[in-house]
Amino acid sequence: MSSMTVDLNRVGAKGAIADEAEGKWGMTIDQDLCTGCQACVAACAMENNLSFVGEEDAAYGRTQHWIRIERFWEGEYPEVKATPFQPMLCQQCGHAPCEPVCPVFATPHSNAEQLNLQVYNRCVGTRYCANNCPYQVRSFNWRDYHIEPFHANEAVVDGAVKLVFPLHNQFNPDVTVRRRGVMEKCTFCIQRIHKAQDKAKSEGREVEDGEFTTACAQACPANAITFGRVDDHESLVSQLAHQGRGVKHLEELNTLPRITYLKEG
Amino acid sequence: MAVTSKYFSGSEKAHADQHEEEDDPRQYLMYDPKPRGEMNAMVMESMYTTSWKFWLVMGILTFLVITCFIYAWGYMIAEGLWVAGVMRPSYWGIFLVNTVFWIGISHAGTFISAILRVFKAEFRRPFTRAAELMTTFGLIQAGASIFMHLGRVWLLYWLLPFPNARQLWPNFHSPLMWDLLAIITYILGSTMYLFLPLIPDLAMARDRTEGGWRKIFYRVLALGFRGTEGEWRHLQTAMNFFAFAIIPVMFSVHTIVSWDFAMAMRPGWSSTVFGPYFVLGALHSGMGAVAVVLFVMRYTMKHMDYFLRKEHFDALGKLMLIVTFAYTYFFFNDYLVQWYGGDKWTDALLHWLEEGPMAWMFYQLLLFNLAIPALTLWNKRIRQTPWLLALIGLLINVGMYWERYLIVPVMLTINRMPFTWKLYEPRIEIFLTIGTFSLFLLFYMIASRLIPLVPVWEVQEGQMTHTLRKVGKTHVPTVSEFE
Amino acid sequence: MSDTTLLAVFEDIDPAANAVEKLHEMGVTDEDINVISGVPITHKMLGRPHPHTNVSRLSLMGAAAGFCFGVFLNYGTPYLYSVYVGGQFITPIPPGMIVMFEMTMLFAMLATFLGVFLDSYFPNYRPMEYVAEVSDGKIAVFFKCPEDEQKKFVDALGTLGAESVKPAEAQQL
Repeated sequence: MSSMTVDLNRVGAKGAIADEAEGKWGMTIDQDLCTGCQACVAACAMENNLSFVGEEDAAYGRTQHWIRIERFWEGEYPEVKATPFQPMLCQQCGHAPCEPVCPVFATPHSNAEQLNLQVYNRCVGTRYCANNCPYQVRSFNWRDYHIEPFHANEAVVDGAVKLVFPLHNQFNPDVTVRRRGVMEKCTFCIQRIHKAQDKAKSEGREVEDGEFTTACAQACPANAITFGRVDDHESLVSQLAHQGRGVKHLEELNTLPRITYLKEG
Repeated sequence: MAVTSKYFSGSEKAHADQHEEEDDPRQYLMYDPKPRGEMNAMVMESMYTTSWKFWLVMGILTFLVITCFIYAWGYMIAEGLWVAGVMRPSYWGIFLVNTVFWIGISHAGTFISAILRVFKAEFRRPFTRAAELMTTFGLIQAGASIFMHLGRVWLLYWLLPFPNARQLWPNFHSPLMWDLLAIITYILGSTMYLFLPLIPDLAMARDRTEGGWRKIFYRVLALGFRGTEGEWRHLQTAMNFFAFAIIPVMFSVHTIVSWDFAMAMRPGWSSTVFGPYFVLGALHSGMGAVAVVLFVMRYTMKHMDYFLRKEHFDALGKLMLIVTFAYTYFFFNDYLVQWYGGDKWTDALLHWLEEGPMAWMFYQLLLFNLAIPALTLWNKRIRQTPWLLALIGLLINVGMYWERYLIVPVMLTINRMPFTWKLYEPRIEIFLTIGTFSLFLLFYMIASRLIPLVPVWEVQEGQMTHTLRKVGKTHVPTVSEFE
Repeated sequence: MSDTTLLAVFEDIDPAANAVEKLHEMGVTDEDINVISGVPITHKMLGRPHPHTNVSRLSLMGAAAGFCFGVFLNYGTPYLYSVYVGGQFITPIPPGMIVMFEMTMLFAMLATFLGVFLDSYFPNYRPMEYVAEVSDGKIAVFFKCPEDEQKKFVDALGTLGAESVKPAEAQQL
């Protein structure tokens, strides 16, 4: 593939990627350690300003979960066996099937950081990317859940009853709040990546392994999620990924996911 | 001009033989010429005549359009797509079903006006315009349906191929962009192809209208057409070009629409036979719709029983039979091969179709699309009975709608992540679908009052080329070519 | 000698063709004859010269323009603003085929349509020589003849079966 890329800096085209942008971020998830506690789900929601859709919409398949814990079981009652919990999030595929199908380039690939980007202000809402994702990890903003009255409390202000939205105080200022009609998905906490990179750059050094991590990895009490630079062979995530237990989900589809799952140890 | 009158005099009339009556060429429109002036008057009269029933239907349709199309869509734009039934994993629902359905309907128009013209099938003459109107109006509904589907429809213009404020162009890797270009090509092409043969009839309407808004309307749209040799030559060259050009466009449009599904990585969708399968499916539903439209025209509009005869329904029925077999061929190519090959996801999907909650749709599809047409349309009596053919056509359309419903939201249910499997429930989409159907019918009814639905000049041209030639002891119907 | 335009209305093709032949004999050139009909009648049937049209040329020019536009859209715009998607090459060939085909057909059809308008000088709302009977299936032959020979022409065409022969007036259509 690299022989077919164009040196954009030489061509001088718009969208040329700065040479010194760093890559390649990846993750390992140890399914043998995962307890299914969903702390990662909660942390991700807090970090990325995800909306709470309410019970009815959540039951109907409209949850705004960038990471979800999948539970399965095997066998028939009474010999039912639980299988390992499966945290599923955007795999940041190298050959992402969601990318070429967007008609407006709202989900391009960052060649430098090796991430699949989601550009909220470009999304028109065709939802082709969500259909094409084999991992089904994309969420769509079906409604302006953040400003819906059912999320509000009624407060008496100056004698009049007004709606107040206490959840808005919880928003992360580093992350946009998406309006309805826009697709979203896990970004590997790109705001944290950029913050760490900026800090390291201003101090004239590289980002150290373990200096920062994604919200889900930070919250996991079992340390099942590890995040870091997979192109650095010394990093913890690289070492974990090259253990014998590593598998990539739906590998046969040639999506080249960046997340290695460790199971059946 | 044309038929020599002496055939009908004298001894032949004495035969009260059934066989002779069936052989009477006057039962065929092309051998039953009337003076052009009389045919013009008939067409104009059928355009002007309205009854209270017409206005009642118009009233109902207008009401439905205002509530189920304009209000419902406005409500959905204001509230967001949550009022629709789409969710994970069926991100695409009835809006796409409607889009594919309406594009399917529109293909029949092109088939009849273009392919039949290229093959010089003379029976097409009285109903090419009625079919072509279906194309234009059907494509409008398809466009409306796809706009309804968008999350941020007010930014729809970002899909157009022009550089935005940051000089970013749209993504031509995406099947949706190919879709956009193909549908724009098709709608512009078929509207132009509708308008060109309409010009001489608009000139006729202009000449036969005294005044008022109609006179202005026809005069402006007739563009000053007189019928000079040059004008006819330019028109015919253009119409011939369009007939040949719009056929590959028609095939490419529905193939490209099918690639919206085939290019995706979903079980059941990622099938290489989707291109021709969808094209044949489109022809199948479109021909059925033409049968319905012709039936309604013949029985509700004045003088249409002169223009639309048993022979036309018979020919249409034969076409429907051929398309049924072709469609069945591609249907089995798709499903049989997947069933036999059987990777676990496709297996799960097929079980879901056959035994799941929507299995009734699958079996109705088999009955309406494959069984009923194949078992009935071989019979000449059935084909020549307009209401029966229309009923079969209607059932085919129901079956084809179920087929698209199964392909879009139901097949999306079964994906490679079983944790997400959930069945789609249509919500406001039902009203919006009723809205698009009502708008289509409303457009059609308005068009039937504004423009002559039968291309009289083409009918007369056909009648001029059909003669009875004496061969041996009998007169043989003969068709010649005037171009 | 000033010329006047006469119009003769015929019911059928044969008398009209004979009339055209007679007009040729009487010295009226083809440029001064104009035949208007309600259905297209080939020039050979009437004994008229082959009418030329530019529509097919315009169709080809449109197709060429559309092809270039399609090539630009698929193979040009990605180099103007490069965005990488799906691990695919920046200008893949299969989408190119589709875009080039559609744009070729679109521009060819638009050019053909435009060609009809240009060649026929549509829209033409000026008063033109016309009779409404033409749309009722009659064939009208307009021709220029010297004013003082008017009666000769009227008689000649009358014997050939003209329904009426009278001076033509430009009327607002």
